[in-house]
Amino acid sequence: MTVRAASALLLVSGLSACSGPQSVLDPAGRDAQVLASLFWVMFTGAVILWLAMNGIFLTVTRFIKREMSERKAETLIIGGGIVFPTVVLAGLLTYALAEMPRQRERGEGLTVRVVGESWWWRVEYLPDGSSEPVVSANEIRLPAGSRSEIELAANGVIHAFWIPALGGKTDMIPGRTTRMSLEPVTPGTYRGQCTEFCGESHAMMAFGAVVMEPESFDAWLRKEAAPADPPESPEAIRGREVFVTEGCGACHTIRGTQAQGRVGPDLTHLGGRTTLAAGILPMETDELVRWIRDPESIKPGARMPGYDHLDDARLRALATYLEGLT
Amino acid sequence: MLWNRNRTLWPMIAAPIVWAVHFCLTYWLGASSCAHLGSATPARIGIAIVTAIALGLIVFLGWRAWLRWDYRSDQDYVHDGPTTEDRRNFLGHAGWLLAMVSAIGVIFVALPAVFIRSCI
Repeated sequence: MTVRAASALLLVSGLSACSGPQSVLDPAGRDAQVLASLFWVMFTGAVILWLAMNGIFLTVTRFIKREMSERKAETLIIGGGIVFPTVVLAGLLTYALAEMPRQRERGEGLTVRVVGESWWWRVEYLPDGSSEPVVSANEIRLPAGSRSEIELAANGVIHAFWIPALGGKTDMIPGRTTRMSLEPVTPGTYRGQCTEFCGESHAMMAFGAVVMEPESFDAWLRKEAAPADPPESPEAIRGREVFVTEGCGACHTIRGTQAQGRVGPDLTHLGGRTTLAAGILPMETDELVRWIRDPESIKPGARMPGYDHLDDARLRALATYLEGLT
Repeated sequence: MLWNRNRTLWPMIAAPIVWAVHFCLTYWLGASSCAHLGSATPARIGIAIVTAIALGLIVFLGWRAWLRWDYRSDQDYVHDGPTTEDRRNFLGHAGWLLAMVSAIGVIFVALPAVFIRSCI
């Protein structure tokens, strides 16, 4: 590949990050909008400084051949090299600092607790006034138009929580509770990602982030709080038998059944999530089969054992049961 | 003589030392105020006081350095001769520039306390 083609490819792949569900430049939340405009102001400032600096270099080396007077040179160096950057930096710093208090405000109403596991997310919703959390996993749903409080913790190793379309990121530290708040504006489906290296499957530790209208969010949360509906189709019923006989309930919870394990993600409403295996696979029967058969091949180091001793029919039944848990 | 005011580096680096101490005190005030008192107000008041003291000291040190540079009498900013005067002027010149940088540093370090009013 020629250098020109490689540069073009790099530019195009770089530009592709300017939009989409996981881009800071495609904001869907109030904080992210501010951060995006902060970026554009800083970027514009940097471009102007770069052009001015190189313009001066070009002017004094190419166009003004005659020697400059000492006083003029001193004024240029002190004015352009010391005073101007100091004033510009002070202005940019003040502009950025003035935004910080709002970004760190307390949330109102909903609190979401997120615990970073290896390599998935334990999620608990605490609506205002509730004492019992609604347990979920690997997906964050938030109501649009209000600021929600996000409490962050980690189990074992450090992680970081970031939904670029909604706001800034915060570290998740074992033994400590950190916090942030987010104010989503535009309903839609976005993507979050662990942004602190946490082990071999760090890059595979993502999640779906869904922003909903407040009424739809309330309805969803009521449904999420309810136990799982029993399976109806014969295949799903067979799948539930496989789930019980294979002992999946030792690690996973499906509320409304005997399965009460807390080692792995809560599966009560697994089929209702937008993604599987912490943001890395689509929620489809084939992918569920592939994941249950051999998680290690998809997510290296995953603690879930593979179930490749199950035949295709039983795997498919199990996947159908799980996908039906909406 | 070991302690000769035209040889010692201390007056030159005094302002950056003030900056460094101010930096440590600012962080200490922020952390201890929020951890022990649960409020950012004592930290903000403390930071205002240490900033005023630090800037006062830096202005004083900068003024002393300016006098040692002795720019107004000869407009000289090249001091590369092996003479006592050049050495004195050089230390004054460098000390004055470092005082300017230290003043900017102290202001930038204190700025967050102007905007951030709470511990969260």
